[in-house]
Amino acid sequence: MTMTPPDDVDLDRVWTNVAAEVWRRHPGRLERTATRFLRSPGLARALLTTPSLFLPWLIATTVFLAVGALAQASAGQPLVWLIAPAVAAVGVAYAYGPGIDPAWELSCSCAVSYRMVLLTRAVAVFAVNAVLGLAASAATVGTTASAHAAQLTFAWLIPMTAVCALALAVAVATRSASTGAAAGVAAWIIVVLGWSAASSPPGATGVSLTAAVTDPGLYLPYLAVAACCAAIVGYATRPQRGMQ
Amino acid sequence: MNIELSDITRKFGRNTAVDEVTLDVGPGVLGLLGPNGAGKTSLLRMLATILSPSSGQLTLLGRDPRNPADRREIRRRLGYLPQNLGYYPSFTVVEFIEYFALLKEMPPHLVTKAVAAAVEKVDLGSKAKAKLRTLSGGMLRRVGIAQAIVNEPELLLFDEPTAGLDPEQRVAFRALMRDFGQTATVVVSTHLVEDVGAACSEVALMSNGKIVFRGTPAELTARGEAGQGVGDAPLERGYSAILAAARSAS
Repeated sequence: MTMTPPDDVDLDRVWTNVAAEVWRRHPGRLERTATRFLRSPGLARALLTTPSLFLPWLIATTVFLAVGALAQASAGQPLVWLIAPAVAAVGVAYAYGPGIDPAWELSCSCAVSYRMVLLTRAVAVFAVNAVLGLAASAATVGTTASAHAAQLTFAWLIPMTAVCALALAVAVATRSASTGAAAGVAAWIIVVLGWSAASSPPGATGVSLTAAVTDPGLYLPYLAVAACCAAIVGYATRPQRGMQ
Repeated sequence: MNIELSDITRKFGRNTAVDEVTLDVGPGVLGLLGPNGAGKTSLLRMLATILSPSSGQLTLLGRDPRNPADRREIRRRLGYLPQNLGYYPSFTVVEFIEYFALLKEMPPHLVTKAVAAAVEKVDLGSKAKAKLRTLSGGMLRRVGIAQAIVNEPELLLFDEPTAGLDPEQRVAFRALMRDFGQTATVVVSTHLVEDVGAACSEVALMSNGKIVFRGTPAELTARGEAGQGVGDAPLERGYSAILAAARSAS
């Protein structure tokens, strides 16, 4: 017996509905939470495609900080406080941009704005790196080097903000994530070494590398740098530049 | 009119890519022809609201893209296929198209069916769940076309859409363009004159940033028969005759 569909059935439409159900993607818990929080499914999906939030990148960051924490605990060198801002700066620089996102040009023609994607990704990468850095710092509490743990654990967040903002500003202004990352890391190394040398008493045999983190006199300049870099990012991504 | 350009100029440093172009386009398929460096891609990127004009007035879908709210609304109703479309290799076909449907702010409850319809239109149903890194160049181009049409756009912009497509797929794509041209404005930038002859209701020819010809494919053909154009096909002769005249005039 041959079955024929009624004449008024649009088989193409039926097939499309079937295909839609078969191909339907079910967002994970993280994406659903991000959608609720950001109030935009597009922005949530863009957030979850951040290169520096992919699992391999997060594993690398965790390993880096864990090694720093181990070294800090065994050798007494404050590596976590020095590593965390540099690692975060690289992550933020690689959050979004023309060389990072394969479909960047196409994304710029979409209703969810380039600026919002950039901001959301940068904030998310910063937050994840801050949490990982805090965890690594907390793991070293009680060691010789963490005598001022309470101060240091939170104090490095301020320089981290400045270094991340600098990396992002350079990445956006030059449209190159690598340049931004290099600028952030280089600036941090210069500040750490320069301030350590400057703050060492004449004739001292060793230098304290934590000076760039522990000196409260630097907090205001760090915040000023962060504010200036945020302004640069805002200017460089202003819609008039390319309607993005 | 879905596209209204008035004395649009775009400069990159000292180089003028688009030079005082004035153009009104309604529903239909407009083929944008011209040699390399004529300004086609820059013009298309301005229509896609990615690039701002250096001077002149641009109105898309009755809105001013310089206004953020208008720009957002234009982008919701826009489909764009850039010349060099990047892909996320780990995405599947459906995931990629869905991603851009969401970035275009389609209502979430419509996205799944719209993605399925777009996949079917470009005949990629058998590859819907395949990772993009496993697809051929022609299939990737079709994925790009699918993301452009997923939101049933009123303004559809294609930059070299048939590059990498085999002859059968090109025929299917021309039919798709004609279909969209019934209700939407389709602008297609291409080097392939035969695509223009088969699918476009109008042609604009660019040279050195200016539009040097605007008319129907039949009018372009007629210019070839009357002039000194070279080429194997009548449209190609029209194309080369107008370009030769534009170059000698400048």
